[in-house]
Amino acid sequence: MAPGILVYGMAFGILARQENLSLLESLAMSFVVYSGSAQLAAVSAMGQGGFVGLDAIASIAAAIVLLNARYLLYGAALWPWMGGAPARVTLPSLFYLGDGNWVLSMRAHADGERDAMYVLGSGLSSFIPWMAGTWVGSIAAGLLANPKALGVDFLLVGFCAAMGVVMLKAKADWTSAACALVVALVVDRLAPGGWTIVAAGLVGGLVTYVRFRET
Amino acid sequence: MNIRPEFLPLLFAVAAASFFCRVGGFWFMRLIRVTPRVEAALKSTPLAVMIGIVAPVALRGNIPELAALATIVAIMRWVPNDLVAALAGVAVVAALRFLGL
Repeated sequence: MAPGILVYGMAFGILARQENLSLLESLAMSFVVYSGSAQLAAVSAMGQGGFVGLDAIASIAAAIVLLNARYLLYGAALWPWMGGAPARVTLPSLFYLGDGNWVLSMRAHADGERDAMYVLGSGLSSFIPWMAGTWVGSIAAGLLANPKALGVDFLLVGFCAAMGVVMLKAKADWTSAACALVVALVVDRLAPGGWTIVAAGLVGGLVTYVRFRET
Repeated sequence: MNIRPEFLPLLFAVAAASFFCRVGGFWFMRLIRVTPRVEAALKSTPLAVMIGIVAPVALRGNIPELAALATIVAIMRWVPNDLVAALAGVAVVAALRFLGL
């Protein structure tokens, strides 16, 4: 997992620098958000609408909520395990939760692990390469003449395409995906920027919600 | 090298959005039950979001990006590793942009 997190962190650092975020601003964002896909989407929305003003901020925050909506589910799944633990353990554990460490934790729990600190420990091990990647990326971008020539801005799109292929191969809701595609193309024409992601995500979730049948 | 005052509203907003997702699901469990319907909707959201990210880029129809997307789909069929596929896509974009496409 660590090499992927480092690369993701570097990509964020480079792109954030292109949007004129300083090293400290990039690190602060990595510290409070700590989510590769959400931050890469945030910087790409900044490239289109900036980050000043209510509309720009609202669309970036909404995109982060949708990209991280899965954490609502992760947190809910951790409740039976950690519901009884004190807040000084649960809050940092939830804060440093990542995809990989959630999967590891759920597997460990199924195997009999009951120490709530396990979740925090496995989450923190990803936090170090994440911050280091952001730092290296932000510094490196200042040295590069034209980071766009390296194709770094394509990394999020590339990751999404790769993960999308995996998700479509698994048990995906194709109707939901098709509706999301149509909405994405329409909204992109009308109001490009962060709202495309928001609209596609909301419609995808809603379509599945409405079409759901108990099996 | 410092944090500008105009950056702070964004920083607070993204921190709140992130905190809501991370802690929200855990705390909601005190109040509500996640029904299979809610779970299915939450699970289908990431794919829809990814479509929202990829579709506009594909729609613009620039050759480097389209070639990279095709490369990624091909790689994922043989080597199911999203980091390898995404980096290969970035390499294709960089190479074709260098060639001036």
